[in-house]
Amino acid sequence: MKFLQSMLGGTAIAVLMSGTAMAGGHGSPYEPYAGTTLVINVPAHPHYNAMMKVLPEFTEETGIEVEVDQLQYLKMRERQTLELTKSEGDYDMIAYVVFSKADYIFADQLENLAKYFMDPKLADPSYDQTDLISGYVENIGVAGGQKGYLPGQLGSAYGIPYGSETSVLAYRKDIFEKHGIAVPENYDQLLDAACKIPEVEEGMGGMASRAASGHQASHAFLLHLAPLGGRVFDNQWEPIINNEAGLAAANALKTIVDCGPEGSQTFGPAEAAAAFSQGQAAMFMDSIAFAAGFEDPSKSKVAGKVGYALHPEGLRRGSQTGGFGIAIPKNAQNKEAAFLLMQWLTSKKGDKLVAMAGGNPSRFSTYADPEVQAKYPYSATFGEALKYADPDWRPIIPTWGKINADIGTTMSQVLTEGLDPQEALDGVATRAREIMDEAGYYAWQ
Amino acid sequence: MQTANVNRLTPYLFLAPAGIIMAVALLYPIGYMIYASFLDWNPSQRIGEAEFIGLRNYLNLLGDAAFRESFWVTLKFAAIVVTVEMLLGVGLALLLDRNIRGMSLLRTLFILPMMIAPVVVGLMWRYMYHPTVGIFNRTLKSLGLEPIPWLSDGNWAFASVIIADIWQWTPFIFILSLAALQSLPQSAMEASRIDGATGWQQIIHIKLPLMMPVLIVTLLLRLIDAFKVLEVILVLTNGGPGLSTEILSLRISRTASEFRELGEAAAMSNVLLILLMILTFAMFAYSKAVEIRTARLRAAAEETAI
Repeated sequence: MKFLQSMLGGTAIAVLMSGTAMAGGHGSPYEPYAGTTLVINVPAHPHYNAMMKVLPEFTEETGIEVEVDQLQYLKMRERQTLELTKSEGDYDMIAYVVFSKADYIFADQLENLAKYFMDPKLADPSYDQTDLISGYVENIGVAGGQKGYLPGQLGSAYGIPYGSETSVLAYRKDIFEKHGIAVPENYDQLLDAACKIPEVEEGMGGMASRAASGHQASHAFLLHLAPLGGRVFDNQWEPIINNEAGLAAANALKTIVDCGPEGSQTFGPAEAAAAFSQGQAAMFMDSIAFAAGFEDPSKSKVAGKVGYALHPEGLRRGSQTGGFGIAIPKNAQNKEAAFLLMQWLTSKKGDKLVAMAGGNPSRFSTYADPEVQAKYPYSATFGEALKYADPDWRPIIPTWGKINADIGTTMSQVLTEGLDPQEALDGVATRAREIMDEAGYYAWQ
Repeated sequence: MQTANVNRLTPYLFLAPAGIIMAVALLYPIGYMIYASFLDWNPSQRIGEAEFIGLRNYLNLLGDAAFRESFWVTLKFAAIVVTVEMLLGVGLALLLDRNIRGMSLLRTLFILPMMIAPVVVGLMWRYMYHPTVGIFNRTLKSLGLEPIPWLSDGNWAFASVIIADIWQWTPFIFILSLAALQSLPQSAMEASRIDGATGWQQIIHIKLPLMMPVLIVTLLLRLIDAFKVLEVILVLTNGGPGLSTEILSLRISRTASEFRELGEAAAMSNVLLILLMILTFAMFAYSKAVEIRTARLRAAAEETAI
């Protein structure tokens, strides 16, 4: 599935949403922009497929037309990097993966949103920023605060989370009940359950997890690092990934993969989700974006049998934050209209529409909405999980790509070649320090 | 005087378009790459904004254990696949160089793998290697044997990508060797038969030496290709587990897109280019040496005959 997407990703799928209806009444804020065609770049992702369903409504309401260029999500950055360095870009709005935030903002390629929210002709007074999920905004939208990539007194917003995700634990209610296993609330229980299941339920792995060499293994490791009390760097940018918490996270990942379904060592997210939805594993702890797929009986053998719980607690609670945000490129040609689209999509109305179409909400109120909860029973749990979403579970800095890849290949060696976890993490820390040193992070010491 | 000058210039005038195209299409990109390899260049910058850092990218490569590892993996991969493919391809060609009914159909079947797009080959093998639903492990299980961790163990993953590559590219060598075989001078064959050479003797003393120029070019083409293979491995393992299948071209692509270091990626490409050039020169020098030697032998033989 993932590969199909990546193949399709090569050829951009442009869909022209044509609208005929006129803009709202006289003096509507949308009127000056009616008839404009916006070109936007978004990933091929369930959330954005849902967005495609609500776009016609935007066009009808505003008269602004939207042309969508969908790409496989890992391919987006290459395309966007090319587009953003041109003097006149083709994209009016882009959806970016959270770890692109650092690169784009550092290279001064995204519009600061302040001037749009200050413009009375553009900003909708009923927008209600406080309702946006704070963990997402901090992680995806804001830069310039603490450590540069986090919010803080001097930070400001460059993007708005749209299609953001956190992690929850999905488990098989029937299997847990059958063997009298309690739903794990902390890491000890989680690891116990993960290894007990293959013993009591023949042919079933404990937990399906990402583990493939590279980005996936790194993601899986970091997923455990934050709740177990660790961080990649301390506040002085010294690597602390090899401390006790790091070792605990590496051991947790190894236990999970060893007790996981067959072939776990090479799973990407799609394969891990497939293993769970085909009944080969009793647990799956990853993005909330997968839930809709598990509940779809045409794709999943476990529809209706899945329970959802908060990401178990280690030393603290800390679920991942990730996914996408939307922003306006500096070189966009229709910035005001693009802002109107952004604002409309992330407004209470737009957010609920996309949630009902199967997307991930960006607002607390959408998760609390009775209609959304009725259609997606897990929404209440997800809304709860979001309170613990950790915006700093991985650093978002320009050198992250290289360090991330190194963590990923080294973790893969721990999982498949029996490399000692402490030795592995020590190696990662040494190399990370070199990379950070070269990038000038220790100039102030 | 004037006309003489113009006349002298004419050939260059005719050569000019080709020269210009060469310069634009070949030298410019290579020059660009060589220049880029001296820069600290992030894809978010234009090339003019990148900082010139001299040879630091190359020095970094020397100290980069992951690069050395993938260099070694590439050498190992290329050596193994090319050797096995040459043996199999030439062997098959010798075996099938005869008038069998339906030969043309058979030949088409044999070269099918080569015609499939590499991404498709990767996907196909990926599903066949799948730990639970793949055909290999299902067969092993139904025979009561232990399933093999095709892609999830470093050594097996390396073997798996080699198998896929051999499957795809043996036909290339087969088809070229077959063509070479079929164009060998019949007189030499006949002479050897009359002299009472056995089948093996014919192959070793007549056919193989006569095919040698073609084989060397084939070997070279395959070797260059093997150093550059990317898609199949990208789809099959994406370099993993660990770095066990991370060949150089994959490392280059990751350095450019994932690590966002275009300068270092360019430096790696140059190292690969230099390696390939050395190989090519060595190969040509060898074939040249062989040619000179045969020419000398022939001259000597002709002298004694006189």
